[in-house]
Amino acid sequence: MHEMSIAEGLIQSVLAAANQHNATRIERVEIDVGQMRLIVPDAMRLAWQVITEGTIAAGSELIVVEIPMTARCKKCGREFAPKLDEYLCPDCGKADVDILTGDDIILTSVVCDSNEDAESCDKKGTETQ
Amino acid sequence: MKINVVKSVLDASDAMANVNRRRMDAAGLTCINMLSAPGSGKTTLLQKSLPMLPDGMRTAVLVGDLQTTRDAERLENSAAQVVQINTGSGCHLSPSQVEQGLDSLDLSAIDLLIIENVGNMVCPAAFDLGEHRRAVLLSVPEGDDKVAKYPTLFQKADVILLTKIDLAEILEYNFDRVYEDLAKINTAAPVIRLSSKTGEGVEAWRDWITAQRPE
Repeated sequence: MHEMSIAEGLIQSVLAAANQHNATRIERVEIDVGQMRLIVPDAMRLAWQVITEGTIAAGSELIVVEIPMTARCKKCGREFAPKLDEYLCPDCGKADVDILTGDDIILTSVVCDSNEDAESCDKKGTETQ
Repeated sequence: MKINVVKSVLDASDAMANVNRRRMDAAGLTCINMLSAPGSGKTTLLQKSLPMLPDGMRTAVLVGDLQTTRDAERLENSAAQVVQINTGSGCHLSPSQVEQGLDSLDLSAIDLLIIENVGNMVCPAAFDLGEHRRAVLLSVPEGDDKVAKYPTLFQKADVILLTKIDLAEILEYNFDRVYEDLAKINTAAPVIRLSSKTGEGVEAWRDWITAQRPE
């Protein structure tokens, strides 16, 4: 149940993004969750419900999108899609990889009510990293 | 209004882990994070192996547990400095807890820092604490099928320790099954078979520790 630790980081990012746009209430939050992070969506949503109590995100919907893994073989450089229980390089047969995707948790969007109109929101465009 | 964001939720955690790593690099020490299920023999192995390290290699242990200071007490005579971190209900150590642990250690007097993580095969694997290496233990009584059941833990390991091998015969343990599963998950990490009870293999673990240097 490490979902609560993840929720603690998530609420900070969500509130920071919402504050930049003078949001008054958060309706929906979407995250990309890498398969390797072993997040259980139901547990994640429950943690979200608990962590958002008393904030403008209380009662908001959390959408969890699972991102599959891709990896690069450290031996031969081949890129491929491993499975959680199999990291065998299809070319050289070694299981020694750098994970390219599927090992991160990314906040992708926040839907909220705001005093700003949509146009000014687009101009600001919260693109970090 | 929809705000589009691209921000890693793990940034704060990973950033703290990197702070820990830089701090340990600056102090010139090597940090090994030990992960496994509860009862796989982490503390016993440390009690046995830390006194076998070369003379002059100064050690410290950060021990994570939900409750009690029992493990820290067991290690008191094996390492120069021991700090117990109680996570309460937390199922893994976090980088900020390790930071607090570092605060309470004299880093200038340490060459090797061992982090004994909370016993758990899932959650600790997901958090970088700032360590240089990860050691994953799997004890014979846990069964020879666990590598395939908890692949992420083993995929991220730098060394894999099969412990309590003195029980292998009585439990009809199938080492080949473990090696076959590891061949699909992690072919880079060496596997060391050991028994803290008989001492078999403990020197190989000691030698592995001694060879590690921060990058």
